[in-house]
Amino acid sequence: MTADLLRIENLMVFFENALAVNGLNLTVSEGELVGVIGPNSAGKTTLVNTISGLIIDMAIKEKRKGGERITVYGAVWFRGEEITRERPDRRVRRGIVLCRERHPVFPDSSVMENLKIAGYLRRRAEIRKTMDEVFGLFPVLKDYRRRKAGFLSGGEQQMLAIGMALVARPTLLLLDEPLLGLSPRMQESVMAAVIHLNEAAGITVLLCEQFARPVLPVIGRGYVVENGMLTMSGTGAELMDNPEVKAAYFGI
Amino acid sequence: MTERRRERIDRGIKKRSEDVFALASWREMLYLAGPRLLPVALVLFLPPLLSPYWQKVMLSVGVFGLLAVSWDLLAQAGMISLGQALFFGMGAYGAGLLDRYLGMPPFLSLPIAAVLGGLVSTLLLLPVLRLRGIYFSMVTLILPLMLVRVIEATKIFGGTEGLSGLTPWPSVWVEMYLILGALLAALFGFRRMLAADYGLVLKGIRDNDRSVTSAGINIYVYKAQALFIAAAVGGFAGAFMTHVYLFVGMPVFALDYSILPIAAAVVGGPGGLAGATLGAAILVPLSEALRGFGGLRIVFYGVFLVVFIVAVPEGIFSFVRRKYHQFERWVEVD
Repeated sequence: MTADLLRIENLMVFFENALAVNGLNLTVSEGELVGVIGPNSAGKTTLVNTISGLIIDMAIKEKRKGGERITVYGAVWFRGEEITRERPDRRVRRGIVLCRERHPVFPDSSVMENLKIAGYLRRRAEIRKTMDEVFGLFPVLKDYRRRKAGFLSGGEQQMLAIGMALVARPTLLLLDEPLLGLSPRMQESVMAAVIHLNEAAGITVLLCEQFARPVLPVIGRGYVVENGMLTMSGTGAELMDNPEVKAAYFGI
Repeated sequence: MTERRRERIDRGIKKRSEDVFALASWREMLYLAGPRLLPVALVLFLPPLLSPYWQKVMLSVGVFGLLAVSWDLLAQAGMISLGQALFFGMGAYGAGLLDRYLGMPPFLSLPIAAVLGGLVSTLLLLPVLRLRGIYFSMVTLILPLMLVRVIEATKIFGGTEGLSGLTPWPSVWVEMYLILGALLAALFGFRRMLAADYGLVLKGIRDNDRSVTSAGINIYVYKAQALFIAAAVGGFAGAFMTHVYLFVGMPVFALDYSILPIAAAVVGGPGGLAGATLGAAILVPLSEALRGFGGLRIVFYGVFLVVFIVAVPEGIFSFVRRKYHQFERWVEVD
């Protein structure tokens, strides 16, 4: 089992008494492109937040506010080491980089500055090299590199957000709803970039998405989650052929 | 492998007393009314039992309680004020001037000074209503400090000497029950207001002012109104204090009147006004009780504040309310 890059065992996440993720098991091997498909409120975001460790931070903040108590059970393994309780910044050093949903960029900084901030852990030369790669991947960003990120369109901001994740040099890239709010054409170009990252750059990608149509045909393996539980798993083609998936996500 | 998890659930009595079953028994009625009657009872029956010194402390609780309520009200509308002293000083000077130059009796000068002080403060802050966050706070912080210097330099309203020999309240008890009654009225009245649609708009402005604008509401009108209400409450406290000290001067713009209300709201738990009042009722007597330590008083006070903020960051009131409404138990996770 040590061949797995990421292994999640029996993961349960409670938001107070509500169960967001219920007994989830999932594995991602080196070099794979894995999709997690599910409708709203399925627990996709909670899943990637738990993998990236952000949930620890959220739990502390909620506790401070006297808000909901967030509890995590189960285990997250990365390269044979358990990281369930590890701080998010240390996980980034291990190479687990999350690109959060709704394209979070620093709106008052320029595109270049955004990429530089994201490359905090890397040396200057490395950042410059990755930046060139990012500009090669998303040529529009190069034209706008001095513009404030807040003035970019949604799709461009999403490209920038992915670019920022890349500058941190991930081994495992977590993408949370990268297609949210994008036009079909924009979705296509983002998906093309993700495939390129996976195949050419050899980055392992775990992609959470509710639009199955552009995602299922390209992923190696996929998981379908509903109400925090795993309902189905298989290769992309298998899932595409499944009548239930067809009915729920393709409307056929 | 079974693990255990602490679960929080509402008490049965809370659920029952949320609807018509609240009238089913005395127990349910007391559960609802108890927390509301407790402060009223304290205010009514505590003052006669205290020594004259602690009665004065109780007055201070009333004044700082009003300032804290006013701060919390503004904070609910998304305006973080660092200058409650501005409102306090405006009311105080208003009452002093009405008394000295127009010879008004305290019962007349108090409401007029409160409203006037509220109006003037609102007008002064009107140009910065469009500023959000820290910019608004900075302006409110600077205004009272600036006004002190204006009074010092131009020697208006008695200059550095201030106005003394003003009319006192008819008796100690009138004084006491007036301010405590005002505190209760402000606490319950504004809680009611915040729970109504009007308060909803104010909270909406705090959470996302652009969405409120999109709903067709002019947020600046609402912000100005909230500012006026809060400033009038602060002005009321100031005008009241003028007739207690029989003096009004530059100290009414002191930083204490800005800082302590914020500390009270933070210790008690901001949002909902009750926390702010509770905070004032704890911090003011505490500050007096520590007087025995002399110079170390501020140190102990600071340590207490830090410990409280680290240990109960949500505020005492939120903590107590949660314990009142909910209980916890261990359940097995499978």
